[in-house]
Amino acid sequence: MHALAALPSSPQLRDALALESMRTAAATRWCWRRRPPPRMHSSSRFPSSLHTVRCQRRPDHEVSGGDTDDMFDDLFKKYGKVVYKSSDQKRPTAEADDDAESLSFAVTLAKVANEVKAADIRVLFVKPLVYWTRFFIIVTAFSRPQIDAIGSRIRDTAEKQFNKIASGDTKPNSWTLLDFGDVVVHIFLPQQRAYYNLEEFYGNATPVELPFDNQSPFRN
Amino acid sequence: MIQPQTLLNVADNSGARELMCIRIIGAGNHRYAHIGDVIVAVIKEAVPNMPLERSEIIRAVIVRTCKELKRENGMIIRYDDNAAVVIDQEGNPKGTRVFGAIARELRQLNFTKIVSLAPEVL
Repeated sequence: MHALAALPSSPQLRDALALESMRTAAATRWCWRRRPPPRMHSSSRFPSSLHTVRCQRRPDHEVSGGDTDDMFDDLFKKYGKVVYKSSDQKRPTAEADDDAESLSFAVTLAKVANEVKAADIRVLFVKPLVYWTRFFIIVTAFSRPQIDAIGSRIRDTAEKQFNKIASGDTKPNSWTLLDFGDVVVHIFLPQQRAYYNLEEFYGNATPVELPFDNQSPFRN
Repeated sequence: MIQPQTLLNVADNSGARELMCIRIIGAGNHRYAHIGDVIVAVIKEAVPNMPLERSEIIRAVIVRTCKELKRENGMIIRYDDNAAVVIDQEGNPKGTRVFGAIARELRQLNFTKIVSLAPEVL
């Protein structure tokens, strides 16, 4: 309450402040939450202000619809349609940065797998399909020692270059899974790969182009 | 709240239809199993012409419980049925697809394979 009392007392000034903050694209919840009193005061005196709109919107059934609609139209023309925005959203660029970072991580891991002669390496961008990860790397190995080799090489690279530690399987398994959070690596034996058929299950995911030759003419 | 003698549905295409819990693994003195716990179970009902048969003893991971699951943020998840996914000794699922919604807690408990076969993760 002290903080609120410290605000300028004139409702006009408060409205001006609020409008200014909206214009500077910081028109988030913050604006509405921190300054509830102006809404109440200014509603009757300044029908053209933004606060008035909020006030009249609350008791929807009491106010005649036409006035409010016109007012909204005017405001939309003035300030654009995005008046209200959730404050916990990330900026789109930050999201793209995260994706790019994960992508470089995934491609590096795929390269490492290629060095240890893993076959049929696929990197899938599964973020649009599942929320819990961004990239899948699906890899075939031909024996358990090879799975072990691929797994430990990938773990080492991730730890040294990217400082990430995998959860998931620690022993070589016919389906070995390494979970790095944003990137999940699946290492299969050929039989298991055909059995679980993850590529089909995630068929709608976008495959990522890999910078190396991915054919293995001898094994297949 | 799964305990020995509880009947569970099977949430995958492994060929079992109904399981009965006979033991909770790693529970020690605990009485009940919850989402993410591994149980030993008997197949009470199976789909014909599939590798798994009736009265076979298998391991399974519980993926849905009628008893509500509480999260740190106050969210509570409660399913309509008790369901489990059949796994082998290594922890690989016996089926190739998981049915229905499952909770993300399974990923923290190192069952990411089940999560990656599931159509929906809550």
